[in-house]
Amino acid sequence: MRRNLSSYPLMWRLMDMLEAIFKKIWPKGGGFWSPYLMLSPAILLVGLLVLGLGYIGDASLRTLDTSTFLFSEEWSLTNYERALIEPFIRSVIWRSILGATIVTMITLLLAFPYTYVMVRTRSAFLRKFLLITLFLPFFIGQVVRAYGWLIILGKQGIVNDILGLVGIEPLRMLFNYPSVLFGLIQYMFPFAVLMLAPALTAIPEEIEAAAESLGASWVETMLHVIFPMAKSGMIGAGLVVLTLSLTDFAMPAILGGGTQDFVANAIYDQFFRTSDQGFGSSLAVLLIVIGSFLVWVVFVLVGAGTLAMGAKDK
Amino acid sequence: MNRIPAVSASNVCLQFGDVHAVKNVCFELEEGRFLTVLGPSGSGKTTLLRLIAGFQQPNKGEIFIKGQTVREVAPNKRSIGMVFQRLALFPHMTAAENVAFPLKMRRFDVRMIPDRVKKYLHLVRLEGLGGRRINELSGGQQQRVAIARALVFEPDLLLLDEPLAALDRKLREEMQLEFRRIQKELGVTTINVTHDQREALVVSDQIIVMDHGEIQQDATPLEIYRSPSNPFVANFVGVTNLFHGMLESLEGQKVAIRISQQRLIGTLKSEKLTLNQGVSVKAAVRAEQVRLFRGQSENRDCEVYFEGRVTDVIFEGERILYELSVAALSDALIRIIHHDQQDFSTFELGEVVFVGWKSRDMHVFVVD
Repeated sequence: MRRNLSSYPLMWRLMDMLEAIFKKIWPKGGGFWSPYLMLSPAILLVGLLVLGLGYIGDASLRTLDTSTFLFSEEWSLTNYERALIEPFIRSVIWRSILGATIVTMITLLLAFPYTYVMVRTRSAFLRKFLLITLFLPFFIGQVVRAYGWLIILGKQGIVNDILGLVGIEPLRMLFNYPSVLFGLIQYMFPFAVLMLAPALTAIPEEIEAAAESLGASWVETMLHVIFPMAKSGMIGAGLVVLTLSLTDFAMPAILGGGTQDFVANAIYDQFFRTSDQGFGSSLAVLLIVIGSFLVWVVFVLVGAGTLAMGAKDK
Repeated sequence: MNRIPAVSASNVCLQFGDVHAVKNVCFELEEGRFLTVLGPSGSGKTTLLRLIAGFQQPNKGEIFIKGQTVREVAPNKRSIGMVFQRLALFPHMTAAENVAFPLKMRRFDVRMIPDRVKKYLHLVRLEGLGGRRINELSGGQQQRVAIARALVFEPDLLLLDEPLAALDRKLREEMQLEFRRIQKELGVTTINVTHDQREALVVSDQIIVMDHGEIQQDATPLEIYRSPSNPFVANFVGVTNLFHGMLESLEGQKVAIRISQQRLIGTLKSEKLTLNQGVSVKAAVRAEQVRLFRGQSENRDCEVYFEGRVTDVIFEGERILYELSVAALSDALIRIIHHDQQDFSTFELGEVVFVGWKSRDMHVFVVD
């Protein structure tokens, strides 16, 4: 019996068409190996990255001869020694680690109540407002946002203008460590909220009511029930913020004005200013090692959180 | 002797905008009794429970626990244990830690906590499983943890918010009896909310049937089943055949009504204040009180009977549910629950048989 195909919804017919095309291109599709085949583009993408990493690793072991501007033929650890001895690089590394840690802690502290209210509020308006406020900065981009802070916090910026009205001398709010951290926190905040939201959504409101009926005050409910249950989300969010801010380039460059470099800025300088790709590569490898070490420490101390993707925690 | 009820409500109302979630609810519950609030979803039964627990405040009216109003008392200061619909156990704690939680929050003497936890795990028959995490326990065991957690601090009142709804039938029936056992053993006053009429009949001392936020009937299980006070209760509890008709005449409680040209005799269940001929009525007959027979000679005691054709036969094991279409009643469908202990005789699909009932068993209600 011939069915009247036009009576089916458009989406169904579209899907039927796609299926027919797919059948033509790949008649034996849908077999055991096809999921793995579909993985291949992604594997290729990651593979290229690993390949690049190999080159960086190779370059990091060759030193630049400043008289001939050629890289040495044989491998040596000279670049790494230099990176660990040179006071400037050492201070850049410590600044990055300390900065990333502070940014992670403050961002989580700020993101938790924001996310909690966003998830729990009964007012659709408030939820939408919080969501839009969260997503708006995403459309602006990191560099433009950093420039925005220059306009607001600069010597002739809006804040100093207002302070001038009440007779306060212009403050120097930019190009120091706090301003870089401030910019990073502001940049990382939405990431943290987006990572926390599913974890808090997963905690039923009934759980809070239960804790209350069992005699827990609001503070006790938070402390003994909500925080422990949101732990995996906190760890996931923390790891994302930690690694992103550890490797950040734009905020230290723009809000630090060259005085507050993070490792990424030092790498950039070696590649594009000094043209010592060997030394730059060794810094890149060091950054990867430091980042991995920090993540490993978190894994060991508190588990992988949501990043464990359902694998057994601890 | 004038005893103070364990729980009582007077004119409790809760409105969300134009919707009356709970309307003029009044009831009293005696110490140590098991009350079930029965109703379909959206009847306001869970809202009533949340009002008693203190998660919501009534717009009007008062709730009293042991004679004291609880309007100003926060949920964590009320002496109420609650078992939630989805149990709301704490997944990051072990079973024993879950049970110990209310004791810690309510600042019980730390030295007595382990013994108390042990005693209640024993009560719910979970001895030895205290160290398990919640996700390592079966559905029934999780139920038991939730009960122990709600009872361990010896509250004045236990609230059950349909905790059995998600269980499969066998486990549900087992847990119903378990609730009953524990409640009797401890003598704790209990309010249970459910849409399962069987559960309500099995476990309760007292049943409140609710619909649209209002109490439809407040009585013992037997009374609710035997003499429902209105068509809603008659229809909601048990399998009931409902007919619409008109009042013809009235003599004492005996009432004659007209349903599609047929004159039937029934028993009036409404208050007879101003009953005029012609007011519309609803007549209800329980499915198990309808008889089936093949010839008129087999009729034993049915004052009312018609010819009907069998349109459906559902075999349910211990009983058979028939559905018959009766031409004399404008092809109304009548459901019959048939227990035949003697000869296991069955009626065939399409067979024309007699269907009838005693006029005593047809309850007539006046429709407002």
